Formats: sequence, C-alpha cells, structure tokens
Amino acid sequence: MAKVKIISAWLDACSGCHMSFLDLDEALVDLADKIEFLATPITDIKEFTPADLGIIEGAISNEHDEEVARKIRANCKILMVWGDCACYGGIVSMRNLFSTEEILDRYYHTEGSVCDKIPSSPELPPLITVKPINHVVKVDCYVPGCPPSAKAIGYAVTELFEGRIPVLPSEIMRFD
Amino acid sequence: MSEITLTVNGKQVKGQTGDTILEVCKANGIEIPTLCHMDGLSEVGSCRMCMVEVEKQRRAVPACNFPAQDGLVVTTHTEALEKHRRQILELIFTEHNHFCMFCEASGDCELQQLAYKYQMDNVRYAYNCPNLSVDTLSQYLVIDHNRCILCGRCIRACSEIAAAHAIDFSQRGWQTKVTADLEQPLGESSCQECGACAQACPTGAIFSKLSIYKGTHDDCEITTTICPNCSVGCELNVMTRDNNLVKIESPDLASDPRGTLCHMGRFDLLKPTPSRLTSPLVRDEDGELKEVSLDEAIKVIADRLQATKANAAFLVSSRLPQDLLTDFSELVVSKVGSSNVDTLDGDGYRIISQGVSRFTGNGTGLGIECGAEEIIGAEAILVIGADPQLTNPVIGSMIRHAVSDNGAQLLVVNPNHDVFPLRSRSWLRPISGSETALLMGLAKIIIDQGWGDAAKTSAEFRESLKEFTLAEATRATGIAQESLERAAAIYAHAERGVIVYDPQLLTTNDVGLILAIMNLASLTGNAKGKQLGVISLKPAANSRGAWEAGLAKGIDVNRPEVLYLLLSDDTESEVLLRRLRNTAFLIVQASYDSPAIHMADVVLPSLTWAERGGQYVSLDGHTQELKPVLQPPAGLASDNEILQKVSQKLG
Repeated sequence: MAKVKIISAWLDACSGCHMSFLDLDEALVDLADKIEFLATPITDIKEFTPADLGIIEGAISNEHDEEVARKIRANCKILMVWGDCACYGGIVSMRNLFSTEEILDRYYHTEGSVCDKIPSSPELPPLITVKPINHVVKVDCYVPGCPPSAKAIGYAVTELFEGRIPVLPSEIMRFD
Repeated sequence: MSEITLTVNGKQVKGQTGDTILEVCKANGIEIPTLCHMDGLSEVGSCRMCMVEVEKQRRAVPACNFPAQDGLVVTTHTEALEKHRRQILELIFTEHNHFCMFCEASGDCELQQLAYKYQMDNVRYAYNCPNLSVDTLSQYLVIDHNRCILCGRCIRACSEIAAAHAIDFSQRGWQTKVTADLEQPLGESSCQECGACAQACPTGAIFSKLSIYKGTHDDCEITTTICPNCSVGCELNVMTRDNNLVKIESPDLASDPRGTLCHMGRFDLLKPTPSRLTSPLVRDEDGELKEVSLDEAIKVIADRLQATKANAAFLVSSRLPQDLLTDFSELVVSKVGSSNVDTLDGDGYRIISQGVSRFTGNGTGLGIECGAEEIIGAEAILVIGADPQLTNPVIGSMIRHAVSDNGAQLLVVNPNHDVFPLRSRSWLRPISGSETALLMGLAKIIIDQGWGDAAKTSAEFRESLKEFTLAEATRATGIAQESLERAAAIYAHAERGVIVYDPQLLTTNDVGLILAIMNLASLTGNAKGKQLGVISLKPAANSRGAWEAGLAKGIDVNRPEVLYLLLSDDTESEVLLRRLRNTAFLIVQASYDSPAIHMADVVLPSLTWAERGGQYVSLDGHTQELKPVLQPPAGLASDNEILQKVSQKLG
C-alpha cells in the first residue's frame, strides 16, 4: 500500500500539538511505515505539494496564516485541525479583546522590548482578527485539546486509516 | 398532591402534581441536560438547554419550569432538540471567553461537561470577544465576568439560600453582567462573603481565592464533617488532596438552613496558618526555649503540678471535642485536685447560666433555649447585644430569611449601630448599659396592655416590675415611650417570637438582663414545649459542650503559680495575653507559634481541627461528629495522649 501523504503546518500556535503527535512514542514506528510527511514544520519543509491529508495547528491571526491555510486546503483531500487554537481560536484569540494598535503598543513600548519602535517592514504580514481555521477554509475533522493528548491524535489518525471521518468521543475530548 | 402519569419518550412515567417535567424525568432516571437549573433554587428557564417537545405545544418548552400534567406526551431527545442544544452551547462559547486551558473551573465546569457530551469540536459562529472586567477586590472571591454565562444561579443562591440579596444582573442585552449592589466591587458591597454564589456557579465565573487551581472534585478526597469555628455547627464537605486542604463546600447548599455556610467555615479554615509547633519545648536557664523529648517536657510539667497542686490553674479552648475536654477535666479534677479551671469563653457562660437558673429556679440549664431553626419561622425577632452577621453569620442568614421570605418583624437593640441595616423594622438605641431597663419597659407595656400573661414570669421579675414605671424606662434608655410601645406591640403580637443575644456583646455584665430576656420571652408565651424563644450565641464550636461538662468553673486565684493553657489551634485574645503575663509558670499546649508561646515555660505541640475527630455540641444542643481530614505531622502525639501521659506521671 502506498504511504499516506501528509502536509502540516503550525500557524499562530505554540507547536504543542505537533509535540503531542510525537508523544505517540512507539506507535510512531508503525505509523512511519504508513505515512509520509511531504511538508511539516518538524522537518522545516514549507512548500506544500498535493497530499492526502492536511494538518493545521494554531489559529489564523495574520494574512500569511490565511494564505497558508488556503494553500494546504487546496493541496489536500482531507483537512484535519489540531488543538483549541485551530478548533476554536483558543488562547491566541484573546488578542481580539484589544485593538491591534493597543497590542503592538503594549508589546513594543510599555513592556520593555529591545526595539523601541513598532516594526513596519512590508515583508511583515498585517495582523488580523484571530479566527479558528473553519472560519476561513472548510475543515473536515477536528481534534481539540490544549494540547490534544497523544491518545486523541492517535484515535483520529486510526479512524482516518479505517476510512472514517473522526469525531472525538466525549471520553477522549478535552479542552485543556 | 396526587399522582400523575406522563408519557416520556414513549414510556409511561409517574410524578406528582406540582412537579415540573424536569423533576418527573429526573425521578424516573431520564437525563435532560441543564445549565441554569440547580436543585433547590427557583427556575428561570433562561439557558434553554432543557428544551423538550410536548405534544400539542407549538414549539419546544423548557422542562425545568413547564408543569407536568396528567396525560402529557413528552419527547426529550430528538435530532432537532439535540441540534438545538449543541447550537446553544456554541452560542454560549462564542459570547464570552470560555477557553478552558487556564480556567480555574476546568474539570469541574458544567459548561465544559456539556460541550464534551455534545462533542462540540468546533464553533460555527463569530466570536463576540468582549473585554470584561475581573473583580478581585473581595477578600475571598473573584468574579470573572468573562467566564459568566448569565445563568443567574449565583443571584438566586444569594437571595434564596443566603438571603443576602447582594448581587443581581445589571445592564441589558450584550451588556448584562452580574454585579453587587449598584455595580459596586464585591468586596465593597453588602455581600456577606458566604460563598454560596461560588458553589452555585456552574463555570469559573465566581471562585474562591483560597482554593484557586488547587484541585478539582475528581482530584480530591471529600469528607463530610462539621465546622470547628463558631457554635452553629454547620456541616462541611472538606476537599483534601495529598494531605492538603483544597476547598470547603456545603454538602447541602439549598435545603439545609445551615447549608449556606459563611466565610468562617468556607474560607477562613483554608487561610495560611502561622508556623506549626511540632516539638515540645522547655525554657532553659538562659531563658531560651529548647526542644526536648515529650517525656522530658511531661516530667517538668508533672513536677510543677505536683508542687503546686490545688493552686494550679487550667484554661482550655472551647474549640476542642468532648473526649479531649473529658481528658482535660480528668487531669484537673482527679489528678491535680484543682477547681481553678475555665474555658476561654467562661465569662459568657457564667452570666447565661446564672440568669437561666435564677429564672427557672432549677437546674434546667441551656436546654431551655430553642433550636436555631426557630428563627426562620418566627414572626418577630429581637436582637439584643448581638451582631449575628459578624459572630455567627449563618444565624445572620436565618434572620435575613425570616425577614425577607416570611415577613418577620426585626427589632434591633443596640446602643451603637443597627446590626441589620435596611432589614430591621425598628432600631432601638438605648443608652449603653440600659438594656435591662429597656426590656423591663417592654415587659411592663405588655403586661399593662394585657398582651401577655404575667403569671408566666418568675416571681423575682414580677417583684422588680412592681416598682418600675415606664417613665423610668424612657429616662434610663433615652428612648421615647411611643417607640417602646411600638416595639412591645410588634413583639407581643407575634405568634412566634425569638430573642437572640450574645453574652460576649452585652454591654453590661448584669445577670438581670439575662433574667429580663428570659422573662420577656415567657411573658408572651413564646415557648415551644419547655423551650423558650431565646437563643444565646455561644462563641466557639464546642462552647456548650465545654460549659455543660463543667469546665467553665472560673479561676479564683489572681496570680496562679502554674497555669496550664490548652489552646490548640485557637487564637488568644488580648485579655488572655494580659492574664498569661501575670502567671509565674506557664504551660501552653498549642498547634501554632503565637505570642503565648513566647511567654511559656513549657510548650507542648497540639493537633489542629483538621487532624482530630470527636463530638461537638452546637449552640442549640445538637451533638455532632467532627472527622479528621488530614494526617498530623509524623511523630506528633495526639492531645489526648499528652494529657493522659501527664495524668499518669502524676500517679
């Protein structure tokens, strides 16, 4: 059987969900025979090519995130999102309680940053209202958790191999 | 009440008239999800989680406040209803900040539980993201408006359970939030800090500062015990984890009148304590306290007691259980042969008991007082020389219930301030020390008007009233005659009246005042069987037990050669410290470092309330069991063991 091709990315996130995936430990050995990452932050490959499964961790909080989410969606058959940030907006979306100006001012002026002015390079993507992934592109399955447990990720992956779209059962689902 | 039969999900189930659909379903094991419902509180039907379909109703109805009727056909779970419930959850989650990962309530949260149940792995709606305030000004509680789902359970708990009416919704629509008084911070409002709201809160919107992040219900062991603080004797559920106190809740918040608890039972027991004494200490030649073995310390004590014998004095905290008091009494009476023994609150006892015995003429004792629950059903309540909301807050809440739920008339007698502002019908403000004249004035009016039966009072009191005139009462108290007459009418016309007083707060040490209280109560027939409508507020958890065990005899000697103070985890007052300074040789048995320790010649360690068990007698005579919830520090002898060892050494 050909290996399942996966592309993954973390957007506005802490990388905890990908670390939780690595927590599958010895199960990764069996999984390695069945899957193949074409692009993932774990290998630092960021060019997305057509794949079977797309995985996104983190919320969308700038225009670059939006573009990456769209690229992954366009290149995968099934899109799975990991973690509370990707599913609901999570902790990073608490930035929405303040205006972008307030946030940047707080970060670069009042909290003692090493650079005393707000960076303004055209290469920097503008910040936008933080959103969960499904508010931008269609998502097929969700694995919430902060981070999702290895057990939850394992369940979702196993379900996909069985040909079903996973919905976490109540016993496995956790928001923290 | 009659039985009714309903069809729920195609099955015949039985209920009672007056039940709601939710109650019938619960009784029959049919689960309907709820959020704003809480057993014992009134129903508001605001969260719409419990919506069910009822035949012949145009649309779904809330099960929590829809009356069950005979022949009703109900469906609780359809695809449409379940879709509707999940949609409500999504809307609640997008309304405020409900991200669980840093929430205090995570793991104990009803909203979170429902989201798991409905497998809510995404939300389809845009987030509201309001930036709401967090009120942290209360000593004990935090209100995080960002976590609030506006179910109103806290508000109903505050009014229906605590009868405090301190919090309510302010503003409208998106702006709605739970606030105290007129949008005051909780700590600066009329909030009584009983914490009933925090226990009622289904999310992390109201929580205790002292329990924050210490553990969920699943993490903890829960022991049902009683409160060791004041004499009301409320039941507590103490949550512990790895031999640490985590949180204290009421086992029965809604239906037990003492279930509301107060800050002393719910929070103060969790406060950080001074450093713990774990070893016996004896003062050496240089005047320094040195660690010694228990046997050495006991030898020093026994030698001293042997030498002084009857001149030794003994003081004990009324916070301790019966069996320990018995051991203490055994040591004092049988082994040392001293009659110089007192409880820390013995002065109060001697006033009460003299008053009571002069009134009854026999040894009826404290059994003549009525149960605390009598307050709730009373039509008139006279609070004299007492501030129940301060000293025994659960009694305070019972009085508020009587006033706000049952329309009781509350009369406050206090020279300085109205202890129930906005609730008292009348605040009588006598010149300090003239309370006896005030009560005699009331009695005089009641007898003169023929509202009460003078024959029921004691002969001594009748005699003293003969020469007493109303003019004298107004002159002594400085209260106008009309005010006295109004108060007398309110008290005398009540079907049931209760007088609440506090021996520690009476401005005069006059036994005549206790006598007047007893007589006023008997005059109007405010009696139930052999009990009078009178309650004295005792200070400590086992005051009544200690007093009735004969430990409040009183210490005669001015400067005792030896004073043995069994303080345990109680605190010492200024008065006590002055007394200790006046002692030649001081033995202190205590749990924590305190000023008394620094005066002591011998120090013995002691367990705390959390580590011991035993029986306590509440202010109205209920004997209840305190259970140990924590393991004592390793190698620490129990107080009983220490007392028994001292007794043995004395032979």
